[in-house]
Amino acid sequence: MRNVLVFLLLAGTASAQTYSESDFLSRTRRLTFEGRRAGEGYFSPDGKQMVFQSEREADNPFYQIYVLDLLNGDTRRISPGHGKTTCAFFQHETGNILFGSTHNDPRSKDLQKKELDFRASGKERRYSWDYDPEMELYVHHPDSGELEQLTHAFGYDAEASYSPDGQWVVFTSMRDAYGRKLSREEEKQLEQDPSFFAEIYIMRYDGSQQTRLTYAPGYDGGPFFNYDGTRIIWRRFTERGDIADVWSMLPSGADQRQVTDFKSMSWAPYAHPSGDYIFFASNKLGFTNFELFIVDTEGMKEPVRVTYTDGFDGLPVPTPDGDRLSWTSNRDGGASTGGQIFIADWNHDKAMEALQASPARGSTENE
Amino acid sequence: MRHGIWSLALTVSLSASLSAQDVRSHVTTLASEAMGGRLTGTEGAAKAAAYIVSELKRLGISPLPGRSDFRVPFEFTSGVTDTGSSFRVGDWDAPDDGLRGLAFSEVGEASGSIVFAGYGITVPESQDFGYDSYFGLEVEDKIVLVLRYFPEDASQEVKSVLARYSGLRYKARNARERGAKGLLVVTGPRSPSAGELAALNFDTAAAGSGIVAASITGLVADKLFENVSDKTLEQAQHDLDSANPHVGGFDIPDVTATLTVKLERETGTGFNVVGYFPPSASTAEGASEDRFVLVGAHYDHLGEGKQGSSLAGADEAGQIHGGADDNASGVAAVLAIAERLKGRERKSSVAFGFWSGEEMGLLGSGAFVASKVLASEALTAYVNFDMVGRMRDNKLVLQAVGTSDVWPRLIEQTNVPVGFDVQTSEDPYLPTDVTSFNQAEVPSVNFFTGSHSEYHKPSDRAELINYEDLDRVARFGALLTEKLSNLDERPVFIKVARSSQAGGSRDSVRAFTGTIPDYASDVEGLLLGGVIEGGPAEEAGLAAGDLIKEFAGQAITNIYDYTYALDVVKVGEPIDVVYERDGETLKTTLTPRARK
Repeated sequence: MRNVLVFLLLAGTASAQTYSESDFLSRTRRLTFEGRRAGEGYFSPDGKQMVFQSEREADNPFYQIYVLDLLNGDTRRISPGHGKTTCAFFQHETGNILFGSTHNDPRSKDLQKKELDFRASGKERRYSWDYDPEMELYVHHPDSGELEQLTHAFGYDAEASYSPDGQWVVFTSMRDAYGRKLSREEEKQLEQDPSFFAEIYIMRYDGSQQTRLTYAPGYDGGPFFNYDGTRIIWRRFTERGDIADVWSMLPSGADQRQVTDFKSMSWAPYAHPSGDYIFFASNKLGFTNFELFIVDTEGMKEPVRVTYTDGFDGLPVPTPDGDRLSWTSNRDGGASTGGQIFIADWNHDKAMEALQASPARGSTENE
Repeated sequence: MRHGIWSLALTVSLSASLSAQDVRSHVTTLASEAMGGRLTGTEGAAKAAAYIVSELKRLGISPLPGRSDFRVPFEFTSGVTDTGSSFRVGDWDAPDDGLRGLAFSEVGEASGSIVFAGYGITVPESQDFGYDSYFGLEVEDKIVLVLRYFPEDASQEVKSVLARYSGLRYKARNARERGAKGLLVVTGPRSPSAGELAALNFDTAAAGSGIVAASITGLVADKLFENVSDKTLEQAQHDLDSANPHVGGFDIPDVTATLTVKLERETGTGFNVVGYFPPSASTAEGASEDRFVLVGAHYDHLGEGKQGSSLAGADEAGQIHGGADDNASGVAAVLAIAERLKGRERKSSVAFGFWSGEEMGLLGSGAFVASKVLASEALTAYVNFDMVGRMRDNKLVLQAVGTSDVWPRLIEQTNVPVGFDVQTSEDPYLPTDVTSFNQAEVPSVNFFTGSHSEYHKPSDRAELINYEDLDRVARFGALLTEKLSNLDERPVFIKVARSSQAGGSRDSVRAFTGTIPDYASDVEGLLLGGVIEGGPAEEAGLAAGDLIKEFAGQAITNIYDYTYALDVVKVGEPIDVVYERDGETLKTTLTPRARK
């Protein structure tokens, strides 16, 4: 190479804390490169595939769902291609994939065009998710390629995931804002922020027995089953919508317990397959600086910080064997886009050690 | 996962360690003493070319269509010597060691009166800055005398602007555009290397400045100033050094001079080596022999480092620069890719180009593009490998990916099974051969594994190469090339705008700091790949891996900031450097020396 302008990247900046990112994460690398943004990557139960959402097609400015073959790198879209989609999840054994989509909304193509025109005008707006009430849950059957619709309720139905045995689906719905007469207060609330009405629901894998599990005012969302299906973990926002925490409950909706208490936005919980701890993301260190943390399943101890890189680190998902961690970040060139999926080797032993050494929750001042 | 994606991915590859032996053997051969450092035009380079040709034959690769030889020659300027330039003022002849032609000078004679034009700098009006050394001067058909560099006492901010217009070539062009016939350059008494001649550094675009130009010693300049009644050269420079735009130049009274520049440019012949695989027979449908994916690497290096860009320390100067990483590693990668692609399905041809003259300024690839031996429209894409043998921490840098939207997609697909920590950057204006192909509007990408403290030194040796990872780089390259060779359409070329922040011209940077920068688009600061032994940076305690955040009071967020800061530091004046090491912020003092 001629002359010296040469190039190399540096790992995340270390800090004066007891731990650094390299204690927990090694061989960190970016998994997705194409398109404006990618995220919400979830592994197939055998760990050989990942399903994720990405904005990467010229004629659609919204997320579509893709399956990435982790053995040969091939990617294919499994969602219809038009409309908005989000939050896909593999079913145990069948390989069926569950996701939310608005493709049956007759206006969906017009909305795409409107957004593309807006972008072409050179204007930028802050990224936001609009909780489209046309969003319904669908299952993609890989063999037939058919889509089966599971929900039919007006109001955002999304953020769905299967129980480990594939028999149950837990999801978020805002149907409560539409099926009844709202008070004046509620109408105002709906106009300002429909997510206020989001609650956790459960149903059978075929869409039957749809049952509401939460009733607290404010956004309840992002539910997942834990490793053995005995509990559901999710995030609960306060009524004001400024603070969120990780909660856990029985699949019946009983025994709701708060796991984290950072007084910031703590969300995107996902259980490690060992059953010993829960990953989540929080902005306790700065409004736009989300970092990954782990907390013991009962929330008895102070959470342990895992990432130490400025910007966004969120949506953590371990591989089914628990040896690797995938998450969404805008580090290392993810910044020029709206975030991309990264993957690293996960040091479970170090995580256990750090959790054990952590003081009891509330025994230290919040930083 | 111990048994997961990573190891599964490896099982689908060919036996990794066996092919690592291949790349080791290529690197060891090319970096050996026998190849003499592979300087373009030398016997060592011819031996390297012969080795590559024999490897191409062994792999069943053919010369390009219509050619019988893998070697594609090109001519280049191999040296410039001053063969007796002279300068006569009235009846006084400057001594032989009082002047030297500038490498880009026209050969010939210029006679006329002499005008002192200060630093000879004109900042274009578009910069809205207002600095013109020629303001109020009439220089048509005259000889212009200017100071080298730029005003010494100006603020850093002002210097950072002026530095961009202070290169010798820029000053020559400026004088010519104003109608001057000749240019004299003197290193002012208040500048580093005061009174010394400028080196006869030739570059590839050496000829054609359109003006007779020479540098003169302080002694010769003083002789001219004998005719100026009210000031010496030193006083004149002092008046200019604040960069006050109202201090102008003046005519040197009562003097007629004749400048004669005699230069001899030697021409040499270099050889690119190029061959190709046609499309596979079984994919006749949609196949096109006329479309080529081109994979390339330069095979030349610095010989014994006697010209230009060697960074050898005093104790190793003149030794053979084996260039194991730069760029035996790239050649090994391309040969290993050819090996992997042998017999594979492909819809278009795949060509393999091994360039010479890269170290002298991208000569071989530039000549190849200009020759149209393969028209650039026939090229689906160009994939370059330059310094890919020193991978650390699994980091692979892919540059120039802004040249097509095919790159993010193919990089994602290719990297999933190979698993590098891939860093991308869009900028295709790089000091390597992709620049030649980007200019020809070919979607291009460059593979790179980072700089190091053996860069451009005799110690860039084969035993320091990371062969296992070099072979993984080749595997990645083969997968990527295979995907490119099976595309139905040529990827769309995207023109990346050149950064307006380009640093000062090279010959205006005169402070030597001994830093070897690594750089990255997304790191805030300037990462050091190494420091030069015995240099000011080493003396200041800086080392590879340090991240410079502040330099001479200027915040450093990228390589351009750093180049600017370098432009304006003063030789011999200590400057503060703030840097990060292992997460700690540290401070040191560095004293730059004069660059020779």
